[in-house]
Amino acid sequence: MTPEPEKSGITEPSVAAARLGHSWGGEVGGLLLLALSAIFMIGGVRLGLGVPTRLGTGAFPFLTGLVLAILAVFICIEERRGDTEVESPDWIAFLAICGALAVFATTANRLGLVPATFLTIVVASLPDRSLPMRGKAILGVIVSLACWGLFIELLNLPFKPFVGL
Amino acid sequence: MDILTSFGHGLLVVLEPANLMYCFIGVFLGTFIGVLPGIGSMAAIAMILPLTFYLDPTPALVMIAGVFYGAEYGGSTASILMNVPGTPAASITAIEGYQLAKNGRAGVALFSTAIASFGGGMIGMVVIAVLSPSLAKLALSFGPPEYFAVILLGLIAASAVSNGGALKGIAMVVTGLMLGTIGVDLTTGELRFTMGIPELRDGVNIVVVAMGLFGVTELIASIRSNSGGGAAQKLDYNNFYPTKEDWKSLPGPILRGGAIGSFIGALPGTGQTIAAALAYALEKRVSPQRAKFGTGVVPGVAVPEAANNSATQTAFIPTLTLGVPGSPPMAIVIGALMIYGITPGPRLLVEEPDMFWGLVASFLVGNIMLLVLNLPLIGMWVRLLRIPYKYMYPTIIVLICMGVYSLNNNVFDVWLTLVIGAAGYVMRLYRFEPAPLLLGFVLGPLMEEQLRRSMLLSRGDPMVFLERPISATLIGITFAIAVYGIYSTHRNRRLARMAAEQTQLEEPNS
Repeated sequence: MTPEPEKSGITEPSVAAARLGHSWGGEVGGLLLLALSAIFMIGGVRLGLGVPTRLGTGAFPFLTGLVLAILAVFICIEERRGDTEVESPDWIAFLAICGALAVFATTANRLGLVPATFLTIVVASLPDRSLPMRGKAILGVIVSLACWGLFIELLNLPFKPFVGL
Repeated sequence: MDILTSFGHGLLVVLEPANLMYCFIGVFLGTFIGVLPGIGSMAAIAMILPLTFYLDPTPALVMIAGVFYGAEYGGSTASILMNVPGTPAASITAIEGYQLAKNGRAGVALFSTAIASFGGGMIGMVVIAVLSPSLAKLALSFGPPEYFAVILLGLIAASAVSNGGALKGIAMVVTGLMLGTIGVDLTTGELRFTMGIPELRDGVNIVVVAMGLFGVTELIASIRSNSGGGAAQKLDYNNFYPTKEDWKSLPGPILRGGAIGSFIGALPGTGQTIAAALAYALEKRVSPQRAKFGTGVVPGVAVPEAANNSATQTAFIPTLTLGVPGSPPMAIVIGALMIYGITPGPRLLVEEPDMFWGLVASFLVGNIMLLVLNLPLIGMWVRLLRIPYKYMYPTIIVLICMGVYSLNNNVFDVWLTLVIGAAGYVMRLYRFEPAPLLLGFVLGPLMEEQLRRSMLLSRGDPMVFLERPISATLIGITFAIAVYGIYSTHRNRRLARMAAEQTQLEEPNS
């Protein structure tokens, strides 16, 4: 438990100021780390801690989990004061890049390298409105053909340009 | 002159046509990626790493090193022309460099950068050649407790001074250590935390972690900042070469920057940014032109570049002699070496002299290549900066996918990169730095092994770490750094809060 800030007249506006920009990300981060540490501590115990002379499979995960748990508690306390500057997120770029990776992972084996690359390019470039759909498609064609030439023909990597052809 | 003979031998190794070619490819690609704004040397190395797996260890290492200092060099180009530093260290170069560019002296700034980089690199190379053998000799007397303590020192030193604060930095290191335990436990053969996924048996690949944390994360963050694009300052070819006065003002800053950089670079947990910042701060006090600092002066560009590049070289000292990387890029070097079955450490110098001295000699060759390549190619890099980012970033994401996919020919690695990259971006938003995580990830298995050996040696007595003088000293230093890091984080936050209160009190109505 963190003690409530003093209720003197001088500090009150400043507390309000600190709270004004408060986002809960820091605490959530701390709590996530706490959860992660719990997973490794429990997992460590299950794997077997061994004895000090012969540390078991689970000893190191357990110890690191324990250290992380302590740190996570302190991070939560520190973040309660909530003055960490937070970078403003760019969720559109985030979704586009994650989507592009997901598209590549889904299609690389099923459709082959060239279609996978093409789709990846199109999805990744979606957030850029200055590039019209046709431009995105052209970029996709150029890059996927270049990848075909570079990775399959030149470097001889064992990928199929198209699956089922 | 033992060192000279060894160095000469290394020079012969690196002058073999194949090694020479990979050195060139590394330097070229490194500069290429480093020039792209917002994409740093970490992402560059991560992207090149899959390519090196097809090579022998020596050319691979030479190429990785080339990518590293090439990217550090290339980072200065974007910072000078666009004020968008390609690497964090280049943000110091941007202070004077961008001013010079705005004054129409972009060419002079880029030219001085190239010369200063070369000078700094050479100073770093001499330091590494002189210092490494004796440090390796000292390290040969290390037992498991000393190794454990060195690793701990490296991890804490690298994380306790991170941007997000000491606690978060150390928490990231520990998270990295935990991530490193996934897969088969090498001592007992048991599986750990694989969640029944067969692909995780061998653990998480370092390329996946590095590509996710740096490639994907930096790419997401760079899209918005580069969407304007193409705002590079023009290059005036009539005003390209440094004047006589410029030349005269170069040697001092290069020597001072190189000396500071090589010292800082060799310390664990510091790195190029601190080296460049410190060298710039010092130069601002001692330079004959100090009054003009901030308005665009040549020594102000030369000093951080020299420091940056010499620190880049000397970062290899703890990496290769102790096996403890001082900075995240070096963690990737360690990871790459281990993939080849080479254990970095004091024995490396004895067992793989070709590789060690070949690498040192490659710094000379690579830096000459940088100079020869980049003076005529400055115009090309400038044109590269003019390519709108909307064409660049989708291409980079494809290269990331290809690099990860080609590791095991398996899309699972791509999925994992996605997960790690997404987590890395969210972490970045809340100032949880990714670099300490990678460091912990690479050093985790080594640390666990040394811990086990130490405990076996001491028959289960953990006091062994404090009873042996070297390990006790190292642990003492580690503790001091951690305490200082936490203290200074708190002090900075308190100061920031007080400043916030001040503004609040001054504007009661807002």
